[in-house]
Amino acid sequence: MRLNFSDDMKEILEEFLIEADEILSGLDQDLIELEENPEDKDLLNKIFRGMHTLKGGAGFLGLTSVVEIAHKIEDIFNKLRNDELKLTSEMMDIIFEGVDKLKESIQMIKESEEIPDEEDIKGLLEKLESILSGGEILEAEVVNNGNLNEEESDLQFLEGVDEDIKNLIRQYPGKDLGEILEELILLPPDERPSIEVIEKLEKIISEGKDVKDLIKQKKEEPEQQPEVEGSKPVVKEDKPRANKKNELIKRKKTEKKEEVIRVDVERVEVLMNLVGELVLDRNRIVKLASGLETSCESTETIEELLDSITGMSRTVSDLQDAVMKLRMQPVKKVFSKFPRIVRDLAKKLNKKVNLVLEGEDTEIDRSILDKLEDPLIHLVRNAIDHGIESPEERIKAGKPEIGTVKLSAYQEGDRIIIAIEDDGKGIDVEKVKKKAVEKGLITPEQAENISDKEAFELLFMPGFSTAEQVSDVSGRGVGMDVVASTIHSLRGTIEVESELGEGTKFIMKLPLTVAIIRTLMVGANSRIFAIPLYSVVEIVRYEPDKVKNIGQFKSFMLRDEVYLLFSLNELFDMTDKKEKQFIVIVRVGEKNIAISVEELFGEEEIVIKPLGKLLENVQGIAGATITGDGKVVLIVDTNSLINDKKSQLVGVL
Amino acid sequence: MSEIEVLGLREIKKEVSTEERLITFYLNDELIGVNIKDVIKITKDMDITPVPKTKDYILGVMNLRGNIIPVVSLKKKFNLKGKDNLEHPMIVVVETDLGHIGITVDRVEGAININPEEIQPPPMNSIGIDPEFIDGVIMIEDSSGKKELLTLLNIKKIFRSENL
Repeated sequence: MRLNFSDDMKEILEEFLIEADEILSGLDQDLIELEENPEDKDLLNKIFRGMHTLKGGAGFLGLTSVVEIAHKIEDIFNKLRNDELKLTSEMMDIIFEGVDKLKESIQMIKESEEIPDEEDIKGLLEKLESILSGGEILEAEVVNNGNLNEEESDLQFLEGVDEDIKNLIRQYPGKDLGEILEELILLPPDERPSIEVIEKLEKIISEGKDVKDLIKQKKEEPEQQPEVEGSKPVVKEDKPRANKKNELIKRKKTEKKEEVIRVDVERVEVLMNLVGELVLDRNRIVKLASGLETSCESTETIEELLDSITGMSRTVSDLQDAVMKLRMQPVKKVFSKFPRIVRDLAKKLNKKVNLVLEGEDTEIDRSILDKLEDPLIHLVRNAIDHGIESPEERIKAGKPEIGTVKLSAYQEGDRIIIAIEDDGKGIDVEKVKKKAVEKGLITPEQAENISDKEAFELLFMPGFSTAEQVSDVSGRGVGMDVVASTIHSLRGTIEVESELGEGTKFIMKLPLTVAIIRTLMVGANSRIFAIPLYSVVEIVRYEPDKVKNIGQFKSFMLRDEVYLLFSLNELFDMTDKKEKQFIVIVRVGEKNIAISVEELFGEEEIVIKPLGKLLENVQGIAGATITGDGKVVLIVDTNSLINDKKSQLVGVL
Repeated sequence: MSEIEVLGLREIKKEVSTEERLITFYLNDELIGVNIKDVIKITKDMDITPVPKTKDYILGVMNLRGNIIPVVSLKKKFNLKGKDNLEHPMIVVVETDLGHIGITVDRVEGAININPEEIQPPPMNSIGIDPEFIDGVIMIEDSSGKKELLTLLNIKKIFRSENL
C-alpha cells in the first residue's frame, strides 16, 4: 500500500521511524532474554510499552498494517504481564514473526513509502490472534480456580475426552481442532502421530465439536473478566491511563533527546576529510618549522612562530581525536543482532547454543562496523553449523550439552580485537590439508611441510570450503575467502586458532579508524610508495651476502631467522633498476616477509583516498594519498600484494 | 513596429533550437568531439603517478583539486597509432559512471555548437575506434572555409564496467 505524506507529516514520519528503529532494535535481545526468564515482569512491561508507543505513532500516521500487528503483540504482552497467558516457545516464534514483519514494514516505509497490504499480514494476524484466543481459554481457567499456580492453569478436560486428543490440544494451545489437524498433516511423516489419532480428530471435527466443547468452562464470557479482576484491567478499558503513561515515557525521551543531536553521516564525512587535510598541512608546517629552526638564526619572531606552531599542532591533534570520536559507535549495534541469529539457527539445526557477548561497549569507526556485520554473521553461522556438535554428540564427548559461542570485542592500542570463539569440534588440520590438495591449492609435498597455523590459513584461500555438503545455513556461496578479503580491505587481519575436539577461535584485528593511517614512505624505481606501519615489523639495511637463493625464491637471513625476500618492484611486476638499500620486514597473515626497497623516506601520517571505481580492485594497492607538494603516493596493501604468490609460498619457509 | 517584433521572435526561436555544444580535441589527426556536459575540466602538465598491476591503457592517477583521478589513454584503449605525450600531457577530465576520469589528448581545439539533425551515422571503422562508441560524424567548416570531419565520441559508454 502506498502512502502519501505532506511535508509536515514527513517530519513526524521521520521522528516516528527513528523511534520505531530504537524500539525494534532492542526488541530481539529483550525477547530472547524473556525466553530464558518468561516471568520477568520488567521485561514484559518494557516490551508492552514499546509496542504501545509504536502502535500510537503508527496510528497517528495511518500506517494501518503496523498498527494492527503492534496492537496484537501489545495485547499478547498485556496478557503475559497480567499472568493471563503463559509464554511458550511456539508463541515466541509467532511473536518473532510479528516483530520481523514490523521491521520489514518500517524498512518498506523508509525505502519506498509503502506498507505491506492487508493481504500480506492476514496470516500473521490470524496467528497472533490464535495466541490471544488461546489465552482467553486459559484466562477463564485461571479465574475459575482463583489461583495462578502453573500446574493448575493447565486445561481441564470434560470427562470422556480421548487422551491423545487431550495431548494434542495441550500441544497446540490456542488452535482449534481444524487448525491442529492441518498442523499434523504438515508435519514430516516420522513426526506425525499415528493414523488412528488423526482419524479420532477427524471424527470429533465431523461431529461439529471444537476445543471449547471438550474442556470445562464455568465462566463463559471472558469479556467480563476485567470486572472480576479489577486489579488487572485489560488495556482497552484503560486507555486514559495507558496514554498518560505513554506521555510520561515520551517526555522522558524528549528530555534525553536534548543532549543528543542527529547529524547526517555525510556531514561528518566532510568534516573528517577536512580534518585529514588539516593534519597533513600541520605535518608539513611542523617539518618546515624545524627546517627553519636549524637554518636560521634564532630571533624572537622565530621563537614565537615555533611556539604558536606547537600550540596549533596540539590543537589539531585534539581536533582530529574529537572528530574521530564522532564516527565511533559501540559494537553493540552489530552484536545485538546475534542473540536472534543464534537462537533461530540453533533451533533450525537442533543444537543447543548459549551465546555470550563481551565488550559490547567497545567503540569502532562506523564505516568499519557497517562492513563487519556480514563477516561476523558468516563466522557465527559457521561456528554453529560446523563447530558446535549436536547435544547427543556433545554428551558423548563428555562436554556440556549446551554449546557456547562467545563474541567479544576489546581495544588493544590503536586496534580493535574482535573474536568469535566456540567450544565445538574444532578444525581437523589433516582434513583441511587433504581438501586443499584435492582442490589443487597446494601440492601434496607442501601439505606435508606446513604448520597447523599455515594450514588454517588455507581456509581463507579462494575456492576452499570444508563443509562436506553445502548446507543452506553456511554455504551461501560466500566463503571464508570473502570474509578474509573484507577484513583485509578494512586493513585488518584475521587469524584462526583451533584445537581438535576443543573448539575454534577466529581473531580479527581491526584499525580504530579508516581515514588516517601512519605509513612508512619507501622508494622503488624512483617512485614513492607508502607502506602502512601496522604491517611493518622491522627495517634493516640491505646486505647482499645475507641473500640466498632457495628454489625459485630468494631468502634473507636476519639474526637466526630466514625470511623470503622479494623486491617491491618484482611484486609490482616492474623491472629492477637500482641498487637495493633497505629491507622492510612486513607481516602478511602468519608470515613475515622481507621486501627490498631502494630508498627510505621515513614515517608519515597520511589520509587515505580511494582510487575511484575504475581502479577499485588493483592488487597490492590499498588507495592513495596526496603529499604536501601535491604529488600522488600509492599506499601498498601488503596482503593482496603477495596474493598471487601465496599458494606457491605455502610451506616454503 | 510589428516587423521588429517578428524579428525578435525569430531570434528567440533560433536561440532555443536544439543545438548541442561539444568540446573538440585531436587524437592523432582525427578531430573528436565530446558533449560539453560530460566534461568537467581541461588541464595540462599534470603529474601522472603510474599504478602497477593495471591494464596498459591506464596511465596512472593524478591529483585534481585534492581528489585522485585515474588517467586513461584512449590511443592505447583503442589500439590507435602514436604515443601519448607524457612529458606535457593534455588531459580532458570527463564524468562517467565510474566517476571522474582523465583522458589524454594530443591537442584541445575548442568548443563548438552543432545541430544534432546534421549528424551522420559513423562510417565503418573510419578512425579505428569501435563504432559502438561513436554516436556519429558531422562535417564542420571553419572560418576560412576548410571542411573537416568531426567524430562524436560517446564517452559515457566507453567507461562502463562491461566495456573495459
